[in-house]
Amino acid sequence: MSFEIKSGDVDVDAIMRMIRKRIEEKKQGLYTDEEIREIAEHRLDAVLDAHEFNSDFIADLRSQEGRWNYHFGPETIYRSSRGGVGGLLEGVRRLLRPLQKLVWNPNPMIAALSRQSDLNTYYVHLLHNLAVEITKLNLEVQDLKNRNLQLQGRLEFQARREKTLEEMVVYRDDAVAKPGSGGGGAAGNDPA
Amino acid sequence: MKLAFVVQRYGLDIAGGAEYHCRLVAEHMARHAEVCVLTTCASDYLTWANHYPEGRELLNGIPVHRFKVKRPRDPGAFADWTDRAFRASHDPADELRWLEEQGPFAPRLVRHIERHRDDHDLFVFFSYRYYPTWHGLRAVRDKALLVPTCEEDGVYRLSIFPPFFKLPRAIVYNSVEERALIETVSGNQDVPGDVVGVGSALPDRLDAQGFRERSGLTGPYALYVGRIDENKGCRQLFDFFRRYRGETGSKLALALIGKPVIEIPKDAGIVHLGFLSDEEKWNALAASDLLIMPSRLESLSMVTLEAWWAERPVLVNGRCEVLRGQTRRANAGLYYTSYDEFREALALLEADPALRLQLGRNGRLYFDKHYTWDIVEQKYLGLIATATQRVRVSQPSPSQPDPASVS
Repeated sequence: MSFEIKSGDVDVDAIMRMIRKRIEEKKQGLYTDEEIREIAEHRLDAVLDAHEFNSDFIADLRSQEGRWNYHFGPETIYRSSRGGVGGLLEGVRRLLRPLQKLVWNPNPMIAALSRQSDLNTYYVHLLHNLAVEITKLNLEVQDLKNRNLQLQGRLEFQARREKTLEEMVVYRDDAVAKPGSGGGGAAGNDPA
Repeated sequence: MKLAFVVQRYGLDIAGGAEYHCRLVAEHMARHAEVCVLTTCASDYLTWANHYPEGRELLNGIPVHRFKVKRPRDPGAFADWTDRAFRASHDPADELRWLEEQGPFAPRLVRHIERHRDDHDLFVFFSYRYYPTWHGLRAVRDKALLVPTCEEDGVYRLSIFPPFFKLPRAIVYNSVEERALIETVSGNQDVPGDVVGVGSALPDRLDAQGFRERSGLTGPYALYVGRIDENKGCRQLFDFFRRYRGETGSKLALALIGKPVIEIPKDAGIVHLGFLSDEEKWNALAASDLLIMPSRLESLSMVTLEAWWAERPVLVNGRCEVLRGQTRRANAGLYYTSYDEFREALALLEADPALRLQLGRNGRLYFDKHYTWDIVEQKYLGLIATATQRVRVSQPSPSQPDPASVS
């Protein structure tokens, strides 16, 4: 967007309002230059924080794996949580294990659940890396958008410049036609 | 009518600032009254070291009486007392000590004013913040006119100053904003005052083309005139201007006139022209596309007014209320408070000669309406008449104790 000022109708306040509006429109939905620079200067962890990601995400998950994942070994399905009585119960289960194996084979299930527990850990790691990569890409997109905007501004500026250079020819013609006009010092008659 | 002008420095080689302002006013008021100047031997505003010989001399027809500075400024002590005086918790006596350390510490000048109070009808004091003005005006408050040249630097908030602004018989303000600032901080609305400012030493002719040939500046350029100093906003100007050229591909140059206090970046777009004569400065203004005034602290920018006389638009720092207010009232330039505004405003001014021309013409009209010497002199004469006729209680009222009594 560009705007034109009619020469006989200059109002500094109106021009400043237009300048501010133009800046606002350019900035809409984008970071300001200062914000972009600030983000670029920060470490990625801080960026993740800014996006409400926990930058210690992977370390937290690894240190407290019991809160979200499970351990599954060959003995897990025979364990009990009932203290001393539980120990007795586990003993009885162990004794009856051969009998149980006559009815069904628990080994494939134990292997599958154990494998799933390992996979959960890998998924967490993968998710973390993806989040990091998406954040990097997001910043790159923002940067590209900003560059695009700068180029657009430059293009508009060149267009305005071209237009005024064309108009200057007209002014010089006027100045030649009216050599005494201007009402000020000698400098006042030189529009360039 | 005998007028004594009191100012911290005075000399033909002192350019810009309140001192130059004082010299111009003194020389012009000499047409209406018998004028003399009381000042110090200092030339450097940082050290106040004695430079001119003590005693009397004649400068441009004005008798100048110089008094020695008793001790030059000690930068370390001044920094310490500044730190103490501007700390939240401090004693008013600290402020008076700060005033002394700031200088120019010339007690003989103050004593001379006290002893010779009857030799003059009115004393015109320049710059409220300096030792000779603060102490000298208090000695002859019933025949004092003050030209505060107050900036938004926070000094006026020190407790010794608000009561001080109530002492003179009349006040000559530089701008509407300065008047509002002083009236707000001191409540001195009952002291007569007027917004006057100052005229300029105008040239007989302008030689833009000759200047371009002599300087080699053949392309379009924006001009800065003044001390090239961080305090004047020059570092930010360099940063903004280089970004502007980089982003827009503009070929506009930035020409600088003045003494460099900071390093000027080595950039193809920035040209330092050095310290030029008044005549050449006017030519540089006439040849420029616009004037940029990046300073945040100004009580009146004479070069801005001069640019308007030369029909050049200005781009000023909008964070300086005085510059922004004047530019809006004159309708003769644009202002910025951020890089984005600087870029858009400069791009607009650079690309639109019709706009520059119109703004420049508005500036000239504004100058002719407010800042010709006839108008400035008439306003001074009006205030002098008010001050000499006004019956005033010379002692401060009990509710406004004399700030010096705390020392």
